[in-house]
Amino acid sequence: MHEAELIILGAGPAGMAAAARAAGFGLSVLLLDEQPRPGGQIWREVGRAGPLRGDLLGRDYTDGARHVDRLDHPGISHLGGASVWQVDPAGEVAFTRNGAAQVARGRRILLANGALERPMPLPGWTLPGVMTAGAAQILLKASGIVAERAVLVGAGPLIYLVAAQMVRAGTPPLALVETQTLGDVLRAARHLPRALAGMGYLLKGLGLLRELRRAGVARFTGATSIAIEGTGRAEAVTFTTGNGPQRIACDTVLLHHGVVPNTQASRSMDLPHEWDDAQRSFRPVVDAWGRSAEPCVFIAGDGAGIAGAKAATLTGQLSALAIAHDLGALPEADRDLAARPLRAKLALETAARPFLDRAYPPCAQALAPADETIICRCEEVTAGTIRHQAALGCLGPNQTKSFCRAGMGPCQGRYCGLTVTELLSACHGRPQQATGAYRIRAPLKPVTLGELANLAES
Amino acid sequence: MESDYAIIGGGVVGLSVAWGLLRRGRSVTVIDGDDAGPRASRGNFGLVWVQSKGMKQPRYAQWSQTSAALWRGFAGELGDQTGIDLGLRQDGGYDLHFSEETLAETVAKYDVLKRELGGDYPFEVLGHNALRKEEPHIGPKVVGAILHRQDGHANPLRLLQALADGVRRAGGRVLTGRKVVAVDRGDGFAVACADGTRIRADRVVLSAGLGAAQLGPLLGFRAPVRPQRGQVLITEKLPPLINRPSLIARQVNEGGIQIGATNEEVGLDDGVTRKGLAQLAQEAVMAYPALARAQMVRSWGALRVLSPDGLPIYQESPTHPGAYLVTCHSGITLAAVHALRLPDWLERTPEAPDLEVFNETRFS
Repeated sequence: MHEAELIILGAGPAGMAAAARAAGFGLSVLLLDEQPRPGGQIWREVGRAGPLRGDLLGRDYTDGARHVDRLDHPGISHLGGASVWQVDPAGEVAFTRNGAAQVARGRRILLANGALERPMPLPGWTLPGVMTAGAAQILLKASGIVAERAVLVGAGPLIYLVAAQMVRAGTPPLALVETQTLGDVLRAARHLPRALAGMGYLLKGLGLLRELRRAGVARFTGATSIAIEGTGRAEAVTFTTGNGPQRIACDTVLLHHGVVPNTQASRSMDLPHEWDDAQRSFRPVVDAWGRSAEPCVFIAGDGAGIAGAKAATLTGQLSALAIAHDLGALPEADRDLAARPLRAKLALETAARPFLDRAYPPCAQALAPADETIICRCEEVTAGTIRHQAALGCLGPNQTKSFCRAGMGPCQGRYCGLTVTELLSACHGRPQQATGAYRIRAPLKPVTLGELANLAES
Repeated sequence: MESDYAIIGGGVVGLSVAWGLLRRGRSVTVIDGDDAGPRASRGNFGLVWVQSKGMKQPRYAQWSQTSAALWRGFAGELGDQTGIDLGLRQDGGYDLHFSEETLAETVAKYDVLKRELGGDYPFEVLGHNALRKEEPHIGPKVVGAILHRQDGHANPLRLLQALADGVRRAGGRVLTGRKVVAVDRGDGFAVACADGTRIRADRVVLSAGLGAAQLGPLLGFRAPVRPQRGQVLITEKLPPLINRPSLIARQVNEGGIQIGATNEEVGLDDGVTRKGLAQLAQEAVMAYPALARAQMVRSWGALRVLSPDGLPIYQESPTHPGAYLVTCHSGITLAAVHALRLPDWLERTPEAPDLEVFNETRFS
């Protein structure tokens, strides 16, 4: 049994910043992460790839190396390759590492599980050759591989960043097919005054767009009726814009329409969650320190609501301050004093968020997929099946799960959960909050029966 | 709203009864709850099972046997109506034993029951080697098994879905997302829901699982039911590995191996625990060592609906004639009798089964 005062799940921006800060107050920290090396998705492999590909990945990426370096502290034990499959609010965490199940016990738990890309169920999205833009970026970070003859489809700042990185790598995408409309941008404009405080993000976005224009990458906006065509693999993207139907032949399609909090661990503890209409997703309910309804469980970073990597380093530190105070390592006055500059920076970091959320809303077509579109990839369940179950009286996703297996596969419902909630919400005209979400149980990640059985003996 | 019957509770028990009544031309309104709440119908193990039941009450063993015998026709008719294959397999099932003593004790009890049933209790004892011929993956620690020919299994979620579909196809009305708050009696019954819905019916069947504990007294029932948690886990889909089901594990029609179940008195907590899951895994690996390499992909806890002696309760209300309490632990096994025989009892036909021993007055 591992013991630590603080167990952190996830070595991304929030988890690393929290670990360093907590260790600075003398706490023992166990940092568990699924990847072999720290960094999370945003700074994946930054220690190795930063020096190799820093130029094309950009400063925001290479900056991650500072946070990785701070983990080199005697109070921090980082276990990479640890796949956490159960967390309980009493402070025990079960995980598998090197083929053996182990248990760790902590006085506080910080969930820093980050975000997942919002699934984008469109006709043809399950064809080989289709992946998320985030997955393509991971390939670039980890292995330097760039997708050839690719079309980026969707909405949001990440699309511009990935496209620009592809340009810098010498393999520009064929086109950007964007779903946001001019109307979205105009509606978002009322959030611009506040967003000016977060000017850096807006300037960066404009810089990326300039870079794409100079490279001659075609951009289509307000795309509707999107479909990926191909027999056996993706061969083209078809869509409609104000100028009529379009077709772009390609080898790869990269989908992205935003990220959503990864709530699997917080859901597995039955913590309360609330629907965030601006971000069209659920997020766990936490206080200003990231403390959840379970007093010993904290949540920081994008897992508590999407705000980006820099904000995650701040919310991670805020949780570390509260935990240090809880455990007697930091007087209340010192905690509050240390929190002040973090909160000020956080206000700036999140200033542009309402503008971005409204300027790049999720793709409407993917939130209400056509009947024949598969929405649960593990069990190959279509949107039409979910609508049929709604007609049979299923009000929530746990009933449809029983009826048609959507959400029962190895992904544990990560990739269909929000879509099913949205479909049922639309069918019954009930709010997403009332419609609810999948009940998540162990294992959060698959574990073998042999590993599990060994825990019974020990 | 007028129906011959209002059925409170839209799980497998309530829907089976509803489907059976509709089949006889009765009009039915089923009142069901929302997505949350304990639903034994979503978490049960899926056995259509005879052995070990009614060791102290042969009538219960018989009732289970009657249902097991009716299951094939029931699954066929429901399947034809809805196009849903219930995954029924009735090739026998095992009670696996890890010690000669427990095996011998159980066989002795089965012999007594068999005599009480007039010999209709087709079981045989398989030693390790005989069992291994039937189940090549059985582990060396399994000393033997009782093979009962009347046992089998089905896909309980397909059953639930088919019943939900079949009841609607047969003209039943199903109201979901409702919470029953009162039942008034005057000219028939009026069932009032929290959202203001009122359902008028000549008769009421209370089949609300654990919910009967609160609702029962409104209708003059004691309804002494309590929750008992069972944790269950299931593996990734695997090629055929287990031939016949047992109380420890069964390979479901989709390929996953389902392993169960704990028996825990923990009130309404339907969570899973590491200890519970680890014990299930340990026992399953002992029974089928090849399972050590299989990945668990899901687990769940569900609450059994148990009466003090574990047997069903079928009771007409002494104070509210025309109101019936129907509750049991084995809603899957008994689905066929609930659909095909219980309506005779509700309708008081000459074919009505004798359910006297399942009266709740046995607990007074």
